[in-house]
Amino acid sequence: MDDAAFDRMLRICRLRLSGSERDRIKADIDKVITYFDTIESVDCDGYSPAYQPVEMPARTREDRTDVFRESDRLLKNSKTYRFYMVGPKI
Amino acid sequence: MRSSIDEFEEKEKPDGYYERTLKELSDMNQKFHIFSRMPQSMEHGFQFSVKDNICVDGVESSASAEILEGYVPPFDATAVERMRGRGFSFIGKTKMDEFGFGTFGINCAEHPLNPINPEYVTGGSSAGAAAATAVMKYHVAIAESTGGSISCPAAFCGVVGFTPTYGLVSRYGLIDYANSLDKIGIMARRSADIRHVFDVIKGSDRYDTTCIDREVNADKRTKLIIVDQLMQNIDQAVLSAFDRFTSKLESRGYEVVHRSIPFIEKAIPAYYIISTAEASTNLAKYTGFKYGKKTEDFSQGYNEFFTEARSSLGTEAKRRVILGTFVRSASVKSKYYEKALRLRRMLIEAMGNVLSEGFIISPTMPIMPPKVEEAAGLDPVKAYSMDSITVPPNLAGFPHISFPYDYSGDFPMGAQLITSHFNDYALMDFAGAWEEDFEYRFKYNVGSL
Amino acid sequence: MKIGLEVHVALPTKSKLFCSCSPIAEEPNTAVCPICLGMPGAKPMLNAEALKISVAIARALHCDIIDNAYFIRKVYFYPDLPKSYQITQLDGAVGRGGYVRVGGKKVRIRRVQLEEDPAKVVREDEYSLLDFNRSGVPLNEIVTEPDIGSEEELRGFVSELRSILYYVGVDIDREMKIDLNISLDGERVEIKNVTGIKNLIDAERYECKRQGEIIAAGGKVKTETRSYSAEAMSTVSSREKESDEEYGFIYDPDLVMYPANTIRTDETPIASEIAERYSAQYGTNAETVKELVMFDRNALRLLRHGAGNGKIGTAINAISMLRRTDAMDIDEKNFDRMLEYMGRGMLLSDDAIKALKAGNDVEMSAGAVSAEEIDKAIMEVVESRKDLVAEYSTNHKAFNFIVGLILKKYKVSPRYVSERLSKVLETKLK
Repeated sequence: MDDAAFDRMLRICRLRLSGSERDRIKADIDKVITYFDTIESVDCDGYSPAYQPVEMPARTREDRTDVFRESDRLLKNSKTYRFYMVGPKI
Repeated sequence: MRSSIDEFEEKEKPDGYYERTLKELSDMNQKFHIFSRMPQSMEHGFQFSVKDNICVDGVESSASAEILEGYVPPFDATAVERMRGRGFSFIGKTKMDEFGFGTFGINCAEHPLNPINPEYVTGGSSAGAAAATAVMKYHVAIAESTGGSISCPAAFCGVVGFTPTYGLVSRYGLIDYANSLDKIGIMARRSADIRHVFDVIKGSDRYDTTCIDREVNADKRTKLIIVDQLMQNIDQAVLSAFDRFTSKLESRGYEVVHRSIPFIEKAIPAYYIISTAEASTNLAKYTGFKYGKKTEDFSQGYNEFFTEARSSLGTEAKRRVILGTFVRSASVKSKYYEKALRLRRMLIEAMGNVLSEGFIISPTMPIMPPKVEEAAGLDPVKAYSMDSITVPPNLAGFPHISFPYDYSGDFPMGAQLITSHFNDYALMDFAGAWEEDFEYRFKYNVGSL
Repeated sequence: MKIGLEVHVALPTKSKLFCSCSPIAEEPNTAVCPICLGMPGAKPMLNAEALKISVAIARALHCDIIDNAYFIRKVYFYPDLPKSYQITQLDGAVGRGGYVRVGGKKVRIRRVQLEEDPAKVVREDEYSLLDFNRSGVPLNEIVTEPDIGSEEELRGFVSELRSILYYVGVDIDREMKIDLNISLDGERVEIKNVTGIKNLIDAERYECKRQGEIIAAGGKVKTETRSYSAEAMSTVSSREKESDEEYGFIYDPDLVMYPANTIRTDETPIASEIAERYSAQYGTNAETVKELVMFDRNALRLLRHGAGNGKIGTAINAISMLRRTDAMDIDEKNFDRMLEYMGRGMLLSDDAIKALKAGNDVEMSAGAVSAEEIDKAIMEVVESRKDLVAEYSTNHKAFNFIVGLILKKYKVSPRYVSERLSKVLETKLK
């Protein structure tokens, strides 16, 4: 991955790396991607993607409402204002 | 052998038993950094610990990640709820590699140390779960494996670690690493304990779509299959001990045969592609204001805010987020992500064919537990290759169990047995039979009666 | 001009797409749970009814229904998106390859997909405020091909689509969110998040004018994303959002494959097609019938019933009368009686219609009366009250007085009586 591509990745991931951390991680990632490239040699023609390892029945939920039993605790993990959760400026 | 749960129930508990046990356990925790959270007082009953990435109502559950510090879920994971419902007592959250990202259990603050010798790693990512099982006499650990996170630490700490068929245990309440690979499993000192707990936690759940309700089999296999490619790059000491082990099994009437799955070594890169792709989407939610560690300055733009928040991800987490984001980018997705999914399908078929003939058996890890510094010095590709034996069954969702089969000095050696989907009980039966005349050794027995 | 739309509509379910919270609530963050808050550990479970409604919509839009519908994760960072990815469908979409008939033309439908709504975000100076009640509300995204060629077609398409959605059960009074793609010279400009039909038309007009001016001045329109401001009634270039490359779509492994084409749904009537068919079959006026039935399932029900009995002309008149008296929920049996009265040339007052609807008899006293009888009554008054008739040409009050006398006796439409009386008097006075 060239520097521009790597920086673009960082931006997409919303990550910022300091100079030395950046160099180290970039070097690691280049190595790992080369390692990932080795799957190219395996011929998987005729095999469909396995999104899950076992077959899954198509389970759905009946359209019914249910109130979460301890709703007052739901927003306890965040900062709130009146009934709202506070988030960063848009 | 009877389960320790039955044994514990029958035994008289002397006055002050629980207080004493908690005190001893706290001392162990001081030494080996097993738990991220422990209760002030001990509930009376058979104890179970919970890996830190599994939600316990009202208890901080951070997956040992700094970015999720302080997250207190208002609900129990289904497995936890079922354990509590059956009278088990919650003893604490066990430490782990941040979000499950690691093979040695050292990717977190104050990481666990191996109780057998604290200079050595416990293995990961269910590091604290294995250490807790290694020190506590009457205890089971609710752990979790994505690519080997139960087998590896179970082997390094000398306990039994069971990873069920994908989908048999609800993942509701599990803080996701890679959803198509994550499996909640069990560590214990006896196979009978695992069977008991498995029956408590398995089964359909209305909160997890991918949790399957179906019969679990106990089809005995008399053939033990060594897949040649899994035996490459194994330390000589491990190989010789394993040869002695298989000879012993042959003398007990098992037939040992060799089979070949040429591309099985490619399971590791395929696993890391799928797991990082999924992980990079799962970790996107950590943006510093909904839960976990908070970023203070709301007035900066949201992009800046998120970027600041995400700087508290650990190095390995950052690496995996970047890798995962890369492999699923539109322009290279078919080369990496989709190809890896096809390879998974091919592996399921190839391993499935072999497994219909018999159990696949191997050492759990290619090496003996390394010292902490040795493990920390490995570059990522080398570290990932340590998962060469544990990854294939995890990638393909096959149930597997790791149990001690020999000792080298103080250290245990673990063997991993794999079977077909939904034949989980057969693993416990096999290990249970092994335990009849092979006694596991434990240096500590906190809470013995 | 080529216009393509991405229309987002909320589905009429009792609960959200992936959890059991209500999709509607008053106070912020009162219809939320770990799932729609995106809390670590929570998992989605698909609402069967949302999938079914989605299939019904896709079928009504003549789409092919996919064998196995599935969901993907669309990753992007914005405070209103709880998991920082939206669960949506794309290649796993419920329906694709459909069309909507607009006038004589087919506007092709590329895709109908099921997805979750993000939270509502309130902009403040120093921070934002989030209400997760909306998070997880089931949406259908309906994507058209760029087949709409004029403002008239745009209006026509929206009206057709709304009618179809109405018949599937969607609450069409809730504002639709629409992304508008518009190109005059081949360069595509996307206008995001237009809310409501009025804004859609205004945005289209503005953008058409803007692009037209660029082209007229010899310039080139830039492919970009713009947003529409309802206050300014104009569009402005918006900061680029993530591209497809960056969304990095992956299959959502918390969910599974859902065999969509085996789901049974009731057939959705296409009101305008029915109107055209009747017009061809019975010679009724297609526009009149459309007016009646596009957004009124009772009207369609009664019209079909009337047509089935070979009384479509009377039924059209009867439906107009029922609508005026707010009696559209009349049942078929009583509607038949109404048609029978009307067939006999009877005039029906509002009270008579109400009585009919209630299943009561409505002879004279209640206001069902034949036209001859009214004429007869008028003649009687005219003969017996010559004084009033004499006053008629100079005093309008006299006229109204006569009408009043008739209405005292018969509860019929005053307008009808006035008309008849005028005719009688005019003949008489000649």
